[in-house]
Amino acid sequence: MKLSFTSIYTTLHAVGLVNALWPVPRNLETGTSLLKLSPSFDIQFEAGSGWSPPQDLLNAISRTKNRIWNDKLGRLVVGRGEDDREGLESASSLSLLTLELDSHSHSKSTNDDDSVGSSTSHALLPISVEAVKDIGTRSEEYSLKVPANGGPAVIRANSSLGLLRGLTTFEQLWYWLPGDVDEGDAGGIVYAHQVPVTIEKDYPAFPYRGFMLDTARNFFPVDDIKRVLDTMSLVKMSVFHWHVVDSQSFPLTIPGFEELARKGAYSRKEIYSSADVQGIVKYAAERGIDVLVEIDTPGHTAIIAKAYPEHIACPDAMPWSQYAHEPPAGQLRLASSATTNFTVSMLSSIAQTLPSTMFGTGGDEINENCYQKDPSTQEDLKRSGATLEKALDSFTQTTHGALRQLGKKVVVWQEMALNHRVSLANDTIIMVWKSSEHATEVAKKGFRIIHAPSDYFYLDCGGGEWFGNYPGTNSWCDPFKSWQKAYAFDPLASLSSAEASLVLGGQQLLWTEQASPENLDPIIWPRAAVSSEVFWTGPHHPSGQFRTVAEALHRLHDVRFRMVQRGVRAIPLQPQWCALRPGQCDSGGLPSTAWGFALKKLTKVIKRYKRIALSLTNNYLERIGYNEL
Amino acid sequence: MKLSFTSIYTTLHAVGLVNALWPVPRNLETGTSLLKLSPSFDIQFEAGSGWSPPQDLLDAISRTNYRLWNDKLGRLVVGRGEDDREGLESASSLSLLTLALDSHSQSTTTNDDGSSTSHSLLPISVEAVKDIGTRSEEYSLKVPADGSPAVIKANSSLGLLRGLTTFEQLWHWLPARDAGNADEGDARGVVYAYQAPVVIERDYPAFPYRGFMLDTARNFFPVDDIKRVLDTMSLVKMSVFHWHVVDSQSFPLTIPGFEELAQKGAYSSNEIYSSSDVQSIVKYAAERGIDVLMEIDIPGHTAVIANAYPEHIACPGATPWSQYANEPPAGQLRLASSATTNFTVSMLSSIAQTLPSTMFGTGGDEINTKCYQKDPNTQEDLKRSGATLEKALDSFTQSTHGALRQLGKKVVVWQEMALDHRVSLANDTIVTVWISSKHAAKVAKKGFRVVHAPSDYFYLDCGGGGWIGNSAGMNSWCDPFKSWQKAYTFDPLARLSSAEASLVLGGQQLLWAEQASPENLDPIVWPRAAVSAEIFWTGPRHPSGQFRTVAEALHRLHDVRFRMVQRGVRAIPLQPQWCALRPGQCDSGGLPSMVWGFVLQKLAKVIERYKLIVSLLTTKYSEHLGFNEP
Repeated sequence: MKLSFTSIYTTLHAVGLVNALWPVPRNLETGTSLLKLSPSFDIQFEAGSGWSPPQDLLNAISRTKNRIWNDKLGRLVVGRGEDDREGLESASSLSLLTLELDSHSHSKSTNDDDSVGSSTSHALLPISVEAVKDIGTRSEEYSLKVPANGGPAVIRANSSLGLLRGLTTFEQLWYWLPGDVDEGDAGGIVYAHQVPVTIEKDYPAFPYRGFMLDTARNFFPVDDIKRVLDTMSLVKMSVFHWHVVDSQSFPLTIPGFEELARKGAYSRKEIYSSADVQGIVKYAAERGIDVLVEIDTPGHTAIIAKAYPEHIACPDAMPWSQYAHEPPAGQLRLASSATTNFTVSMLSSIAQTLPSTMFGTGGDEINENCYQKDPSTQEDLKRSGATLEKALDSFTQTTHGALRQLGKKVVVWQEMALNHRVSLANDTIIMVWKSSEHATEVAKKGFRIIHAPSDYFYLDCGGGEWFGNYPGTNSWCDPFKSWQKAYAFDPLASLSSAEASLVLGGQQLLWTEQASPENLDPIIWPRAAVSSEVFWTGPHHPSGQFRTVAEALHRLHDVRFRMVQRGVRAIPLQPQWCALRPGQCDSGGLPSTAWGFALKKLTKVIKRYKRIALSLTNNYLERIGYNEL
Repeated sequence: MKLSFTSIYTTLHAVGLVNALWPVPRNLETGTSLLKLSPSFDIQFEAGSGWSPPQDLLDAISRTNYRLWNDKLGRLVVGRGEDDREGLESASSLSLLTLALDSHSQSTTTNDDGSSTSHSLLPISVEAVKDIGTRSEEYSLKVPADGSPAVIKANSSLGLLRGLTTFEQLWHWLPARDAGNADEGDARGVVYAYQAPVVIERDYPAFPYRGFMLDTARNFFPVDDIKRVLDTMSLVKMSVFHWHVVDSQSFPLTIPGFEELAQKGAYSSNEIYSSSDVQSIVKYAAERGIDVLMEIDIPGHTAVIANAYPEHIACPGATPWSQYANEPPAGQLRLASSATTNFTVSMLSSIAQTLPSTMFGTGGDEINTKCYQKDPNTQEDLKRSGATLEKALDSFTQSTHGALRQLGKKVVVWQEMALDHRVSLANDTIVTVWISSKHAAKVAKKGFRVVHAPSDYFYLDCGGGGWIGNSAGMNSWCDPFKSWQKAYTFDPLARLSSAEASLVLGGQQLLWAEQASPENLDPIVWPRAAVSAEIFWTGPRHPSGQFRTVAEALHRLHDVRFRMVQRGVRAIPLQPQWCALRPGQCDSGGLPSMVWGFVLQKLAKVIERYKLIVSLLTTKYSEHLGFNEP
């Protein structure tokens, strides 16, 4: 005789398990019918609409068609969808997806013969143009209907970018059941299991849904970056923040400043040529992603000394911990007018090749000791009679001014707004990284905010310290930021509603002291998809409730398994046993809950000690430290 | 004008940087000469030795020959060896490596007429699966600087393999000047050593068990992934692959006569190790000097058996699982049932007799009492026999262990069997210590042999966040991440008397796969798992007599990591490439930093104390409810 344990958990979760979309749409109604994809399935534009689709939209459509057949993702249920086989025999088939544009969304600029009633075609702006418009002015909205009876599905939007977002959602509806092997059927069925599906006006809560990659501590080939961009697009992310150079290496070719890469890259094979950069920017934009290039100044620039030693203070000074937050030491001589001019030319030269209206100038972790010990800087300051802070202000105004003249909004790390007496333009965008608690301070100063807090979003934390002679020390931002931790982030926490309007969005970040192409995928995915939902959906779940990891887990499993099917080495979140049985690997029962509570209390005590350690560290760092951006 | 900072660090480290071998040999003398590998380089057996090499040694030689030319690893110095170019023009070339056997090491069994026909040498795959502690891995290596033949001398094929492995690590690559684009097939370049002459006299391991454990039940790993792990283990001279092949979540193993277990218990028909897969893995491992220790964990960790044999499993799928198992799903073998005991004996024997290893693992960890208390069947069995649960566990253990011992196996168990239960274990039982490094001494005091597998140093899966579905933002139970530095500070003989020390067979790092799959296998394992390979090859102290330090080890670990990457293993970088090329320059420098480091360490200790309280409470709690692990 077997014991019988009734599982209320399973029941509860079967109800909750309404979809596997990531990020979850704002409005979603689903049914319970099966719907097959017809072998003749096609995606077409609304008949008689008279507008001509841009090439990058046509390419996006081809990709969608390809993926729907080739994802070959089995449903994450016991049997991987085998139970659907019988029902699929009598299920309807979908033959057509129609793309429609809302009225007023066509560009009229191509119609130059003023013939009002003529049937010439209108042009629709390419995705790659829509994706790099000023942040906050992009239209990503779409609606999607998939009827249960096999009638045409429809995506409606008012831009090519909106259509792309709709196609992305559409792709996530489909699963694969292999042919019945016993009957020699090598083919298989692509099907949806929740039709009808109705999504009315899905759009992002925040326009900036980013991911940052550091390509200077270790190098990443172009193909790796493109794979990241493809995966970002799968979860509707909108900004690739490219921290392309730093003190350790300069892999970026800048027209007119080619020596920087020639002498500063790890090797000649570890350089992004101008064509590589354009290739990446175009690839991203066609997938709805804006590329925000950052050249961190005046700190984090030691490597520039290889090509231009005259512009760098304290190059390779030792012990490095007194001159920089990590080795090697070296910063731009911000008090020198020659260095300022050099910096302006260099930044302008690369910035003007980029379509984005954003450009990053860093500004974090400036080390005063480095300048105090640099005779050249001291001489410059003496001559001008300025303080270091004053010189920084001039340097910043000059460099930012040049970028603004090129039509760029400047993006900086939080120190520029909070720790220095520097005049910043009102439209400057501030990245909050040190702690989620600093967002309010930035908002109070009236600047727009990107959330990039190390305590929630740093993907590199928790892998152990990387300094050479530290036995058994944890990373500075321990512990590991699990997906659950990131998912608990509230973008509007402790902000007034006026301040809330300054939040552009946020991003998870990978600093690459301990990352390389070898572990790029597993360290990023699926974790970086978490912020894409936080910033698409906002603090609340569309149902009006706060988002919970218990609800999100199954959907995140689903998108992770889809990533793997697409060749992305995303990590498993649980044993496969759990992935196929939603809720059954939750910690169950009242005793567990009580225990969890007790543990949380104890954790708080530990946190208090940690905070003491951290604040001591911060104090220390202001003079010497080896913190990390 | 530039500031000039004199860098004493660079100087210090340039002196210390004598080699890039991992694990570091016991005796090592190196020179400073460059030595090229001749295009006609060959590996031959000692002339006139009259012995015939086994096929797997010939295969190992071919692999070495291939890797010497194809590793293409640039030296980890600024310029990647460009500074060596001029010196290489006039450097000597090595054309021959000779493999020599010590006398008395040939088998003479083939020679039945007294003639001078060739003697046979036992294959690597036979030497590698001999009883642990009786294997001969010793070798000596000489590489002269003048281009005359190099020599590896050993007294077994296994020793020769270890020598070849060291030899491979001596070589680096410099592409031809203006070699252009390697993508365009321009493969010209020089393979060279930069520290000739190299003399290694009698290098041999401090401990015979240098292992790695992989769990293939929480998530499945295809055969090719396992073989890549074995290749990488061999690169750092590891000797045991502990294969935690099945568990409560899935049963991917085909057992002759018990095929239903995999048919109904694997995640899918594509996620099963067939009998030929198992044999192929065992053979592949043995040819590379690695013994496969297979573990079928009993009586806990067996829920999935209920899919095929529901009659043998107590509390299958019981919820809330946390009351009946350490992780979901719940379910354990009905240890008080004689039918279940017979079933278990047959199943274990059926798989064990197909395996050449003299070790077999039966687990025995995390047995949940409540599961049995709530199982009417077990309660009836106990009542009928009048035995307590502990008594029943003892009978069950003696039956299963007895059957394995009859097959010539030494049984390997987790520490609970020795420390937490009243179970009679044979003296030759091997106990794997996992809960804490502090428990090794207790096991040794009971006179059992010890394999170190402590979660506080060696669990590779720790620190990735909790994986229980609804626990928001919780850390993993064995937080923090066990960095390579932490693992490297492990002392295998800590708190052991010298008598007890002789019971230490070695140790291993472990990957439990709740949050691992083929997608992150390489990065989560390598190069970290190589750390214990050095600890157990070299022992508590560096061959110089000093304690090992992470500062000295780092550059060598970088080197072996870059070599792994060249061989297609996705090992993680330990530092920015800038640091990897500049030994010592990314150490935290200066007195203030050291003082600060000290203060931080003190504070860390306070935190650790609180953590200890938490973990203590957790352990107490999990004895009847929790979600602890292996």
